Amino acid sequence: MSGQTYLIAAYLGMIGALALWTWTVFARSKSLESKIDSLEKALANDESE
Amino acid sequence: MSIRGEAVALLGLAGAGLTFWLGMTWAPSVSIDAFKAPEAQRIFYWHVPSAWAAMLAFGMLFVGSIFWFFKRSEWAWRLHVASSEAGLATGLMCVWSGCIWGAAEWGVPWDWTDIRLNTFAMLTLLSLYLVLGRRSQPDGVETRDTFAAFGMYGFVLVPFTYIATRLWQIRHPGPVVATSEGSLNSDMGTVLLIGAISFTVLIIGHVMAGMRLTKLELRLEDLQNRYEEESR
Repeated sequence: MSGQTYLIAAYLGMIGALALWTWTVFARSKSLESKIDSLEKALANDESE
Repeated sequence: MSIRGEAVALLGLAGAGLTFWLGMTWAPSVSIDAFKAPEAQRIFYWHVPSAWAAMLAFGMLFVGSIFWFFKRSEWAWRLHVASSEAGLATGLMCVWSGCIWGAAEWGVPWDWTDIRLNTFAMLTLLSLYLVLGRRSQPDGVETRDTFAAFGMYGFVLVPFTYIATRLWQIRHPGPVVATSEGSLNSDMGTVLLIGAISFTVLIIGHVMAGMRLTKLELRLEDLQNRYEEESR
């Protein structure tokens, strides 16, 4: 592998890692929001019963 | 309308991609006489901004730790959590890019005798300890105090890392910006500036998103406790 190709591979790997990190934050945020939503509904149902 | 941290982080990520493209295609090559691996030098446009972003994150970690420890501010704890994660990600990015460059230029990815390399690695390990420690311990005032103390005392490594190459230049190159020598070409300086701005935006976005995430985690924990109490 030439120096330039090696460098591009290293760079793309790092951009991929940054994108993965950003996506993880998105996914964790969405998952937490849906769990909170479900619990709030469950609690509201319990209170109305 | 509130600006979501995720949107800011995406903007920073796009800027990091632009820095990569400019660094590879537009920035001038360095002299073949000055470097053993002149192509590998282009990783500098990624390495320096990620180090800058890591230092910003460690600074925010210090502020969060201080305000939690002395003022018991909830926002400060959230800042501590978010900035330790951001410091870990950018610190690892900096160490990794440095190892790639070191392997090409020096023939070895790491030099255990270089002060700058080792103090920066200790900062990254500190943020790793804070991230893993927080995830494995139940949340509580004592736990938060312990991690905040590490965040405060660990910050001493930041100025130490900054001055390391000025006091003991062993293997890591000396400063090329904010120095009287002024050895940086203007096109190189432009790409480096774009990189620094992009990584700053990225880290701010991630800290904003991380703070919101911690708020959601605490809210979920509170709701779960309420639900368990009502189910009894």
